[in-house]
Amino acid sequence: MRKRELELYFGPQHLGMVGNFSITLKVEGDRILEAAANPGYLHRGFEKLMEQRTWIQNFPMVCRMNVVEPDSMEMIYSMGVEKLAGIEVPERAHYIRSIYLELARVGSHLFGLWAYANMLGFDTVAQWAMYHRDLILDLFEELTGGRVYHIYIWPGGVRRDFPDGFEEKIINTLHTIGSCVPDYDAAFFNNRIFYERAKDIGKITREEAKEMGATGQALRATGMKYDIRKVEPYAAYDKVPWNVPSREDGDAYSRVWVIRDEMIESVHMIFKLIDKMPGGKVYNKIPNPFKWNIPESDAYVRCESSRGELGLYIVSDGGDKPYRAHFRTPSYPHGLTILEKVLRNASIADVGNIMISLYVVAPEIDR
Amino acid sequence: MELFKKKIESAFSGVRVSIPGRYRMVINAGKDEVISILNFLKGEGYNHLGIISCVDWPGEGELELVYIISAYMRDNDTYDDDCKANIILKTRISREKPEFATAINVFENAEPYEREIHEFFGVDFKGHPRLTPLLLEREYEIPPFRKDFDTRKYVEEFFDKIPFVENEDGQK
Repeated sequence: MRKRELELYFGPQHLGMVGNFSITLKVEGDRILEAAANPGYLHRGFEKLMEQRTWIQNFPMVCRMNVVEPDSMEMIYSMGVEKLAGIEVPERAHYIRSIYLELARVGSHLFGLWAYANMLGFDTVAQWAMYHRDLILDLFEELTGGRVYHIYIWPGGVRRDFPDGFEEKIINTLHTIGSCVPDYDAAFFNNRIFYERAKDIGKITREEAKEMGATGQALRATGMKYDIRKVEPYAAYDKVPWNVPSREDGDAYSRVWVIRDEMIESVHMIFKLIDKMPGGKVYNKIPNPFKWNIPESDAYVRCESSRGELGLYIVSDGGDKPYRAHFRTPSYPHGLTILEKVLRNASIADVGNIMISLYVVAPEIDR
Repeated sequence: MELFKKKIESAFSGVRVSIPGRYRMVINAGKDEVISILNFLKGEGYNHLGIISCVDWPGEGELELVYIISAYMRDNDTYDDDCKANIILKTRISREKPEFATAINVFENAEPYEREIHEFFGVDFKGHPRLTPLLLEREYEIPPFRKDFDTRKYVEEFFDKIPFVENEDGQK
């Protein structure tokens, strides 16, 4: 029989696709010969819009760049503005920021687990993950008033202190989620089907990962414990001891296990941070936002979002608005460079598997 | 960092190096030297290209390309000073005829960043294998992220073409 090449559009309307993203595949039978990532379905020009809004007006916008985990976007923008304007943050706010960001990381990983489990057909596990994410959203709702977009971190600290008894609520919620880890393990992580579907799929070596600019789970699954929280500690991440989970094989199986281990590590970290939390104020006063000019300068800041290195190159021309803001989102190299490479020679059934295990989030690429 | 600053200055005569803060270094280089500096930095262990950014300075008639380079850890679990460092490499190119050499041969993940800059700022990267549209759906006369792109005018021209729906009284 003569073999034929076909062009196949995987997404944006496809059952295996999560998010507004598409991949154009060139296939022969079930084998992928070539893959071209095709982003842009969610491009909103945020970086251009930011140039026309004042420093403080940009907060409701930056968080919308990443639907799954908006909190690290608030953090990186705050870090950028604080660095340009030379604003100090009180000690207690550092702790609150860390706790808040780790909660967001757990929520984001549960969302990621939902997508991954759903794609592999583990619908029950997916529903558990979605339910547990909702418990974390309840905490956010009480703290900030918003469930998905919080706009909680501001330059100079956080918007307000924890309400009374909020620490116990965090601990109770995390215990509720943590008590289900054995169920998750039995139903999903130690399940033979997950192993068979994910082992040796989408494999990259450490050298390849470094060459292609990988960070986050994609890199940590190859054995390198590269994590900005350790490399260049910000907030209160250097105040408590914690480990960077990693695996050796660099395949989808390892990446999903790293995600699981990270959730558990984050929960432990939150407990330690709550124990050590100092008192005091939670924000330093900033100048009047309507008359706030930041001196002419530029800066690059970075933090660890739930997917890898999140960076911001921000330029001020001495005015009341950013002159240029450019975000380095982790999904950019993961979803465009690495995805195209590892999809070569994969089978069509594994496209969603590889993409979600690389934790590609489309709004982050498009911005 | 001080030692490394001297090393760069001795290797490349035309660069200006400054250290604005701990673990931060800014290199201002001429546009012909950038690719060889990137190669040099990679050879010295700064092997992680964070981002390539572009800033439009219409007053000076120039576009500024910004390469942000840091280092992965040398072994797998030690966080030494090198991996804390961020090097910001800047160069300026003409705004009228924006052409530049591609960095794909040095850093593989430069490809999507250069595609994005081509689309948003109109910079032509020589040697880039596919400078096709990445995020936008149509081409623009003025690349949209340049400062002289009038967003309001564009919106009015483009979207006002859709006729208003009139109700029974003929009111819009």
